[in-house]
Amino acid sequence: MKKFKRPLTYLFLSIATLISIYPFFWMIVSMTNESVDVTQGRQLPGTHLFENLSKLFDQVDMVTALTNSAIIAIASTFLTLLIASLAGYGFQMYRSKGKDIVFNILLLSMMIPFASIMVPLYRLFGKISQTAPFLGIDTLTAAFLPTITTAFFIFFFKQNTKMFPKDLIEAGRIDGLSEIGIFFRIYVPTMKTTYAAAAIIAFMNSWNNFLWPLVVLQSPDKQTIPLLISNLGSSYAPDYGMIMSAITIATLPTALVFFFMQKHFVAGMMGSVKG
Amino acid sequence: MKKVLGVLVTLLLLITLAACGGSEDEDTSGDNGGEGTESDGPTEVTAWAWDPNFNIRALELAEEAYDGETELDLEIIENAQDDIVQRLNTGLSSGTTQGMPNIVLIEDYRAQSFLQSYPEAFYPLTDYINPDDFASYKVEATSFDGENYGLPFDSGVTGLYVRTDYLEEAGYTVEDVTDITWSEYIEIGKDVKEATGYNMITMDPNDFGLVRMMLQSAGSWYFEEDGSTPNLEGNPALREAFEVHKAMMEADIVRLHSDWSQFVGGFNSGDVASVPTGNWITPSVKAEESQAGNWAVVPQPRLEVDGGTTASNLGGSSWYVLNTDGKEAAAEFLANTFGSNEEFYTTLVEEIGALGTYTPGTQGEAFEAGDEFFDGQSIIQDFSNWTEEIPPVNYGMHTYAIDDILVVEMQHYLDGRSLDEALSNAQDQAETQLR
Repeated sequence: MKKFKRPLTYLFLSIATLISIYPFFWMIVSMTNESVDVTQGRQLPGTHLFENLSKLFDQVDMVTALTNSAIIAIASTFLTLLIASLAGYGFQMYRSKGKDIVFNILLLSMMIPFASIMVPLYRLFGKISQTAPFLGIDTLTAAFLPTITTAFFIFFFKQNTKMFPKDLIEAGRIDGLSEIGIFFRIYVPTMKTTYAAAAIIAFMNSWNNFLWPLVVLQSPDKQTIPLLISNLGSSYAPDYGMIMSAITIATLPTALVFFFMQKHFVAGMMGSVKG
Repeated sequence: MKKVLGVLVTLLLLITLAACGGSEDEDTSGDNGGEGTESDGPTEVTAWAWDPNFNIRALELAEEAYDGETELDLEIIENAQDDIVQRLNTGLSSGTTQGMPNIVLIEDYRAQSFLQSYPEAFYPLTDYINPDDFASYKVEATSFDGENYGLPFDSGVTGLYVRTDYLEEAGYTVEDVTDITWSEYIEIGKDVKEATGYNMITMDPNDFGLVRMMLQSAGSWYFEEDGSTPNLEGNPALREAFEVHKAMMEADIVRLHSDWSQFVGGFNSGDVASVPTGNWITPSVKAEESQAGNWAVVPQPRLEVDGGTTASNLGGSSWYVLNTDGKEAAAEFLANTFGSNEEFYTTLVEEIGALGTYTPGTQGEAFEAGDEFFDGQSIIQDFSNWTEEIPPVNYGMHTYAIDDILVVEMQHYLDGRSLDEALSNAQDQAETQLR
């Protein structure tokens, strides 16, 4: 019986791999085909790769969209990590009376779907526009500001901070570090892998974010990649070869970020501090 | 060291904020459209539309054709249709005109829901256009409370695209499929399948476009004339549409698809013998050049109910002006081009094959020219004639909501539930949901 176990495992894993890789395969193959071939479900690589790419870069401003997406994703990842880790650290390490209640309220906020706060949020940014146009509607800042404090990341950091030894903090205090100093010079370096894991998730969320940027960014020169792709598919006769090229390009950054930080990501999910 | 860190963090923060706010100073254009109305420079007008080859191109041509008094600086912003709906809904319901355009394209099926939900947000064009100049079904869809809010644009007039070579193989001519009923269509479909092995039609079970085509061709819709009372249970046209739908499935002449690309793939690959749909599909049909000369367009089949015609509409949209600064300039621009310029409509046909609904602008050589792909048939002229015959109906506020209900009931009906029960269930659901 044992003899069969291994081949069976591999068979199952192979099938699962095939199923999960197939959409990517089709995406890349379609990138090299003409629109007509894509609609007819052609599975073989074609010869239209450069045609599709040049059409794409001719017809739409890919570079601007990529730059906008990158600015938003990087800024939002950086701020999310900074704010969420400070909060998570605070919630876990400091004693305070109403702490648990506040934290529970925060967790409850995870249950509110974004769509339901969108209208008030838009109103808010409309007001901001009147006094500070550089933060208001149709600015890249407005596209990421509402997403930088999420209960999920605060929770994520709080949970991981449980593993962080209090002794290190005590040692820091004895050596005369300020509380902020302890955070930046002891906590941050120790929790590197947690930051890496959070960074991947935050980057992906921001890179793929659609609804809020859609509503708040209107000028073509503020367009992000998901908005651009949504536009490409909007015509009565969409060019699928071109759309697939755009999607492939849009997928690359998240794939790269993941590949480079994969090791940290796994470690981060398991907890930063080895007991 | 501590200080260095602090400075670093502050610097990073500043850089990110600055990078994002960077180009704001010179570029706040989209924000409020025409704030410079009173100044000497051109008035800024922003327009939202979808499809670069069709609507966007039409706007660009309109900008070239514009010869009005007010100097305009038109900024055209391309958005997917669903994205426009989302943006408008968020913007209008938050009561902020910030970031809203001056001109926006809205699909006719959705127009009433916007006009009735946000009556203050739109600027009436009644003084700018003559409604009698436009196809009556289009005026009906774009008006509310006695005012014309929309400037009717493209015709969604339908036709039956047929593969002449397949028909021939089954012993039929183009005349045989002209002016037929849906039951005749099904019979022909069976013969075509037997002779060629190809299905007659490709259909998406979740897209009720075909049913809506049938309904409007008989002058009927999901609602009573008030546009809000659901009219499903006792609606003879809807009943027959359901029956035709089921008969097609049972005759095994239907190829199923689940999205747009498979729909287009269905006729590009030669898998189906006919496509009943809106005239806007023409470019997609012509994309498969190897099929040139094998296609013809005839009027869509009709229902056998009272008032059944062979003219109907699927999709199509119109221009609206938002009640913000710059509305007069925007309205003037539309009236000067889409609203009164006959030559402009000839350009539209010649450049992008866009068929308008402005009656005085539907004559001329461009319309009569034969299309080689359709074996010399003047399809534009044909479509344009059929546009005049489309029965006007009130699309109401909830066309797509009813669609969702009916899609489910159709499945039950196909699975064996009686038609009476399916439609009365649908009626109940509609009444509860839309109260």
